[in-house]
Amino acid sequence: MADRDQFISKVTEALGRTSIIDPSLDHATAGFDSAETIRTNAQTAISDAREYSTQLADEVALAAETIGWKVHRASNAEDAGSIIAGICEEKSAKSVLRSSHKVLDDIVVDKAVTSTGANIETTAHDGKYGQSEIEESKAKAFSTDVGITGVDYAIAETGTVVLHPRSGLSRLVSLAPPTHIAVLCPGEVLASMDELFAMERNDFINGELSGSMNLISGPSKTADIEGTTVTGIHGPLEVHLVILGEE
Amino acid sequence: MKPITANFRTKAAETLEDQQIQQSIEHVYTGFFKGRLNAAADTNNWEELRTKGKAIKDHTIANLDYYLSQLADNVEKNGGNVFFADDAEEARQHIIDIAHKRNIKTVIKSKSMVSEEMGLAEAMNKEGFETIETDLGEYIIQLANETPYHLIAPAVHKSRSDVAKLLDDNFSDSEPIPDATELTMMAREKLRGVFARADMSVTGANFAVAESGSIALVTNEGNGRMSTTVPRVHVAVMGLEKIVPSIQDLSTMLRILIRSATGQRISTYVTMVNGKRTVDEEEGPEEFHLVIMNNGRLKLLEDEHSREALNCIRCGACLNACPVYRKVGGHAYGWVYPGPIGAIVSPVLTGLKDANNLPNASSLCGACHDACPVKINIPRMLLELRYRTAEGSTDPQERTSSAKERGVWKAWRMGMMGRSRFDLGARLVATALRPFTRKGWLKKAPPPISGWTSTRDFPAVASKSLRSRLSNRLRRVK
Repeated sequence: MADRDQFISKVTEALGRTSIIDPSLDHATAGFDSAETIRTNAQTAISDAREYSTQLADEVALAAETIGWKVHRASNAEDAGSIIAGICEEKSAKSVLRSSHKVLDDIVVDKAVTSTGANIETTAHDGKYGQSEIEESKAKAFSTDVGITGVDYAIAETGTVVLHPRSGLSRLVSLAPPTHIAVLCPGEVLASMDELFAMERNDFINGELSGSMNLISGPSKTADIEGTTVTGIHGPLEVHLVILGEE
Repeated sequence: MKPITANFRTKAAETLEDQQIQQSIEHVYTGFFKGRLNAAADTNNWEELRTKGKAIKDHTIANLDYYLSQLADNVEKNGGNVFFADDAEEARQHIIDIAHKRNIKTVIKSKSMVSEEMGLAEAMNKEGFETIETDLGEYIIQLANETPYHLIAPAVHKSRSDVAKLLDDNFSDSEPIPDATELTMMAREKLRGVFARADMSVTGANFAVAESGSIALVTNEGNGRMSTTVPRVHVAVMGLEKIVPSIQDLSTMLRILIRSATGQRISTYVTMVNGKRTVDEEEGPEEFHLVIMNNGRLKLLEDEHSREALNCIRCGACLNACPVYRKVGGHAYGWVYPGPIGAIVSPVLTGLKDANNLPNASSLCGACHDACPVKINIPRMLLELRYRTAEGSTDPQERTSSAKERGVWKAWRMGMMGRSRFDLGARLVATALRPFTRKGWLKKAPPPISGWTSTRDFPAVASKSLRSRLSNRLRRVK
């Protein structure tokens, strides 16, 4: 095994130096913004998302549509519920898995889905999972017809839904089922990736960076056969974005 | 993977004759090249982003020791394991050891060029672990028992009927060829079963963030997400250059990488993981390993002429832009990295002696430099490598020009140094070539310049030079 110190000292040598120089005083890259600037950036990102929420919702709807999301605009909670019920019916869904995002409680998604005759379960656990429970959870996700989540953020520039997996939001709920529905609330849309990563960095500085993050932009796709784009290879074949209007 | 860079000429000639491949690789131009141009035009601060991307990479590479050390600390702080490998063999053996120790049966692989350097999938299969490529292109390539043709489109040279035969052993030529959707769904079915039983994954890392110990994976298919979710052991492999200092740098780097690779504003999935699953998650690996590999990269780093090559983010834009790659194809380059970037990386990583044809496989048109999202000056480095093969290298093994070739150039230089010498030389060459000229064309020149006419004809040398005709005429006018 290559010893770590030995390996790194070879790198130092290749750089023509004798010891490591701390580059943190070099402000050449964005990475070296001060903690103060980072906090301000993150705060601006949040307040902009609220202030321009109507415009950003329109922008994200447009960007999402062009990359393959089926976009639905819901005027209120009830409307959102019936849109979701409609999708479940169309897919003849028997089993539905949902995250514990609050918006799904608000739109009473359980009732909407149950009304179609499908069974719905919420992903969550108490922090005491062993490998056998994990296998069970995986098997369930792979046999589910529809996965429903809220969003942690969305990005207007790219039509992206951002999810941070955690208790109540499994990694597979948005990946394994052939259909994924994401429900977006007003004020959750950021302008661009810059705002997202400013907030991520602020979380990091505060010691609150989440264990993982998924940026989801449309249905799973590939163009590996003769350059023809085909939707649905390993992830969902169909993805829906339900955008709740301001009430 | 063993380099076979010495076969460039024969392999290139083979591909030029292959009509099917010529047709298939058109896509890198019509799809990727044009896609990138559109994406760049659609991004109003594109040049600014490229400049920023270059600054981030320049800074990181100039302080690589610091950032490697920081990255390793943070991966460990997040509960992961870090292994530094001097070469591909060491890295491969380490991963095989992990698989043995953890009683692994099935390994899923995401696309990773570094794992290609190790020949990992093949080695693990030999070792008894069912090891399956999950990127559709790589899966096709694995079934065909070939190596990737392109950095981001490994199976770009395969036709639908090739793929149908690979996915279905019973497929016969008399059947109608399934369309791309049908073929993709066949692969989906097969690979879903593999995902369900996989207990270990090996992925690459598009970027590793030093300050947080995170790795970022970019995929369209979702196999990167599956690989970081389903198996209980996740191993990520990376070349030592794939670092960015800060989480914020990802915003710039992801934008230029994805737009340059496929022309998309964003890939379907970008996945960031900081190691194993957190305690309150329902799925995710219980163990995370990061393997950081040198395998010759320090040779690039220590040489100021080649250091810039470590800025490469493997988007493939230089391949798509290259008029030579688009004709000779990916396999001619003989190692993991084809195209213009391969022509500068392979000679240094695998030895210039065998790879001496690669720096010459370029018209020096500069399209790769224009296309590069981090502005790597590939033509400058190609020239430097050509200089070394001709006379600049102190290593006699690398100086591959023959004494005869050097003699010809020496004579040429002498001939060019004075008016009368030049005139004499020109007359001698014209006279010497006259017996080989037929009907105004020189179709078969004698040695030592026979190579120049093996694939093209030259117009015959004029009986009188322009200069002598002009001076005759001027005399008449007077």
